[in-house]
Amino acid sequence: MNKRSWFKLVKLLILAVIVLGGLTPNGNTLKAQDEAPLIVIITPSHDNPFFKAEADIAQARAEELGYRTLVLIHDDDPNLQDQHFDVAISQGAAAIILDNAGADASIAPIQRAKDAGIPTFLIDREINETGVAAVQLVSNNYQGAVLGGEEFVRLMGGEGKYVELLGRETDTNAAIRSQGYNDVIADYPDLELVAQQTANWSQTEAFDVMETIIQANPDIKGVISGNDTMALGAAAALQAAGMTDVIVVGFDGSPDVMDAIRQGTIQATVLQPVANFSEIAVDLADTYIQTGELPEEEKQSIDCILITPENVDEYGVFAPLE
Amino acid sequence: MNPITDDIILHAEKVQKVYPGTVALKDVDFNIYRGKVNALVGENGAGKSTLMKILAGVEQVTSGKLILNGKEIAPKSPREAEALGIGIIYQELNLFPNLNVSENIFVAHERTVGGSLVNHREQERQTAELMKRLEQPIKPRTLVSNLRIGQQQIVEIAKSLARNTQILIMDEPTSALSNTEVEVLFRVIRELKTQGVSIVYISHKLEELLQIGDYITVLRDGQLIATAPMPEINLRWIVENMVGRGSATAYTPAAHEIRDDALRVENLTLPHPGKAQGYLLDHVSFSLRAGEILGIYGLMGAGRTELFETLMGLYPDATGDVLLYGESLKGKSIRERIQSGVMLIPEDRQREGLVQTLSVAHNMLLASLHNHLFLKVVLSGRKEKNSVERHIEELSIKVSNRNNPIGSLSGGNQQKVVVAKALLTSPKVLLMDEPTRGIDVGAKEEIFTIMVQLAQRGLGVLFVSTELKEVLAMADRILVMSKGRITAEIPRAEATEEALVAASAIGHELVKAGV
Amino acid sequence: MEIENIQSSAAIPAKTAGEPNRAPIQAILLQLRAFIALLILFGFFAIYSDSFMQTNNLIILTKQVAINAILGIGMTYVILTGGIDLSVGSIVGLCGIVAGGLINEGLVLSVFDVVIYFNIWIVMGLTIICGMLIGMFNGILVTRFSVAPFIATLGTLYIARGLALLRNSGATFPNLVGDPELGNTGFPKLGAGELLGLPYSIWIMAALAIIGTFIAMKTPFGRQIYAIGGNQRAARLSGVRVKQVTLMAYVISGFCAAIVGLIITSQLVSAHPATGESFELNAIAAVVLGGTSLSGGRGTIGGTIIGAFVIGVLSNGMIIEGVSSFWQTVIKGVVIILAVMIDQFQQRLQKRNG
Repeated sequence: MNKRSWFKLVKLLILAVIVLGGLTPNGNTLKAQDEAPLIVIITPSHDNPFFKAEADIAQARAEELGYRTLVLIHDDDPNLQDQHFDVAISQGAAAIILDNAGADASIAPIQRAKDAGIPTFLIDREINETGVAAVQLVSNNYQGAVLGGEEFVRLMGGEGKYVELLGRETDTNAAIRSQGYNDVIADYPDLELVAQQTANWSQTEAFDVMETIIQANPDIKGVISGNDTMALGAAAALQAAGMTDVIVVGFDGSPDVMDAIRQGTIQATVLQPVANFSEIAVDLADTYIQTGELPEEEKQSIDCILITPENVDEYGVFAPLE
Repeated sequence: MNPITDDIILHAEKVQKVYPGTVALKDVDFNIYRGKVNALVGENGAGKSTLMKILAGVEQVTSGKLILNGKEIAPKSPREAEALGIGIIYQELNLFPNLNVSENIFVAHERTVGGSLVNHREQERQTAELMKRLEQPIKPRTLVSNLRIGQQQIVEIAKSLARNTQILIMDEPTSALSNTEVEVLFRVIRELKTQGVSIVYISHKLEELLQIGDYITVLRDGQLIATAPMPEINLRWIVENMVGRGSATAYTPAAHEIRDDALRVENLTLPHPGKAQGYLLDHVSFSLRAGEILGIYGLMGAGRTELFETLMGLYPDATGDVLLYGESLKGKSIRERIQSGVMLIPEDRQREGLVQTLSVAHNMLLASLHNHLFLKVVLSGRKEKNSVERHIEELSIKVSNRNNPIGSLSGGNQQKVVVAKALLTSPKVLLMDEPTRGIDVGAKEEIFTIMVQLAQRGLGVLFVSTELKEVLAMADRILVMSKGRITAEIPRAEATEEALVAASAIGHELVKAGV
Repeated sequence: MEIENIQSSAAIPAKTAGEPNRAPIQAILLQLRAFIALLILFGFFAIYSDSFMQTNNLIILTKQVAINAILGIGMTYVILTGGIDLSVGSIVGLCGIVAGGLINEGLVLSVFDVVIYFNIWIVMGLTIICGMLIGMFNGILVTRFSVAPFIATLGTLYIARGLALLRNSGATFPNLVGDPELGNTGFPKLGAGELLGLPYSIWIMAALAIIGTFIAMKTPFGRQIYAIGGNQRAARLSGVRVKQVTLMAYVISGFCAAIVGLIITSQLVSAHPATGESFELNAIAAVVLGGTSLSGGRGTIGGTIIGAFVIGVLSNGMIIEGVSSFWQTVIKGVVIILAVMIDQFQQRLQKRNG
């Protein structure tokens, strides 16, 4: 490679950029004003139906209100989320709806968006800072966990060996839910915790973990899980081992678990009314964009609902049926 | 010759094979007689292996014909050759040590039930049958890694027989065998002959050929030199035809002054790896003087390459001492030895001499980068360019641009690049392992000239060759090695082909006694 | 450049000086393929998307590419030796956590019952040393204990990730702004600061690319890396200290991973133990797209940078256009396979012509 051919390459690149840049309408200006404002929706991966529902509902609501939308996935990777914020800022978004990738790691990008004049509306998960996000709409995880815990105790009859499956250790909700469960269960000394393991919110990991636990504890009577996907994994492992009468309780209220409750492989879950907060968040964003007003309280919590075989048919995809 | 009674199974007619830059075979005619041992001899580079590869379907002819049982054939792959009944056993055996005997015999030709499941019982039954036919007590279920080399060779033969081989090519089959194993092999070969299998037998061990061969064909420089029934000829005939006494306008090196000792090797011993006894090098002692060209002759496996590699420091567990101008090289790494002034030109250019992904210039500079620095850390483009261009000119390397890939050069020019790489380390002693292997005649002479020039400059040159003519022409003194030992030291004036051949066979004589 | 680059590369045409270039046009196009792919992608998104060519977006794109490109620089060295480093993503995570811990909790010496808080420069220095030590660990496994690089670095992938989770029991180190009383403020500047309108990470990438190319092309060490990857035995017989040189390649890779760990941690102003998951695969993809052969000996750092840009432009363009992330993953895979197929095709073409 000699000097001259290097120069040629560089010249070629610059030329190409200029030509292509020139071809582009509105080459270097911001978005044309006549276009509808943009709402960017960032959530964890859609392979969990909970987050898919969350994103889909927010998108539908925003488009109904006449906004353009951009739906992005951060895969619980704060760095990817950070990059998505850069994109939202450079695209001149009017608002960001976010189910975040880390209570601490999300503060910096939200602040950066705020500095750029873009409000972030948090749903589902909160962050460890106030005054940065426009609103934090979270389901009352603790209240929900207490509901789930109480139902679990009732189903267990207040006694017996049980297993707890924890969510991803780095996720605040995992800790809050576990706290809620244990605050209830602590009052029942005859309930014996034989294993407490993380399965990282994952169905396959929960299946593997459960299979192993069954080997050591064939006499367990119940499993309480930090979310629904793990509950499904645990239920599958129990079914495979022929332990069909073990009680399984989940959290989220995903459609799959609703089905499982109807079939009796899972006994209860706690529904987070996602549809509600996705819609409320978009509505709040809309109000802000129209009027510049925000609700007084930054943190707003929405109560969860216990789902059992008795009331399962009254609820649809993360929301009560109309 | 008795072509009336002996039936020709395969006839090669005017076979020519051209590689880029060299002609490996020139209009060679070759007959394989049915049920006979057809010996094929020649020095390295004579074209034996090319001919063998053409017969086995590995390579295809450039021109000429192969006629098998009256029909012209042109096998495009070893598999096609196999289907025609031509099998080959390479010097390096092609067995899977982790599989058992019957699995190896039927590998890629598995006997199956219903087309997909391997029928082990049937395979083992047929294996037992083959072993009976070969009169060998090898059990079908033995792991191949647990067999001795000689037995592994029998497995290779059985593998060929299982594929209905009519012509079996054997390349240096005895090079790794003990004397008793050779006897067993010969018995098997005779057995195969009575069963109508035709053998093509390639070997450097001429005495063996006289024992086992029925017909002999000699190749030299890619040409057919002579062919005769074995009873009509003797060892002298073979050597003369191989070396080409008549036409040997042998290279005569220019005068060079021989000075003091440059390299002294004392009791250098290298135990056989993995074996409790036996040596790759057995108490080797000699000295090399400055300005001297010392040749080492020996057959495959005599320990020549191991000697060079030990001198370079590749085997830390070798014992004995090496002194370079009085300074011991004991415990020094390859890099330190190179810096002290010893440099190796390895036997296998492609595997050991060159880095194929680098250019001509970068290959040449690889061993002497520390001599081409600017401010002690950065490579100086100017110094590199000067060195490379000087050596391209001095060694007259034919290359249009020093940054061309090394693979674009002919074999001879590639070898000169390796030589240039060695010279750039400013060596005091140069070890050249088969320096003319696989290069054409013209390039060979150039390499010889370079060797003499180096000796004139006061370097000690130690070179290994399996070509008698080359050793005789070039060396001021000749060491002959066999089985890891130095079996003869012959000054140039007293050297004859017969003496070298005889000394190179020391340790192999039992074969004769066994017949 | 005086010493022409002879390693055939996707990014850079191997032209022979002083001689009319008679290489067929298709061969030239093949050698330039990554560059051409980049131009095509640029052109496509520039025409298709209104906002792609905006200066802001191009800066953001480059900033995102920098992360992968820096890892790719280290990875290129390792792959040039014929090895691979699967542990870089975990090293990113661990180094982030190490830096976060040093800022928020200091170095606790329980024996002396003291806690030392370091100035931010020393924190960064220690973090980089930590990355290099992990790289050295990889290198020692590969060279001294002859563990296959794939396995050795796979093991390190788990070890480093586990250590990152252990350090703070899986929790994040939040709010890494330091404390003026402890004299360790200023860390967020690395991620947020700008020079001449460009974020520091872009400058760091450029500097490392230039230094990396210089080392590869103009030092004995670089030359020996290529030699080892091309033919280890020939290199050894030429006096190359194969073990030391190979080990250094892994140390460089660890160094680059530590730099990335610092940049990301600083951008997020918090250290998250799961940071960097699957980064190694992106880095390998960039290296391969850039025309470096996985069997070693062939490739350039410039190619890797272009490879990183191809991935970056592709994902940035698709994100802006709102392509489903599932499709993005599929397309990335297709591009990588195409790149390797073209590489094989080019090698065959070269062999035939040679």
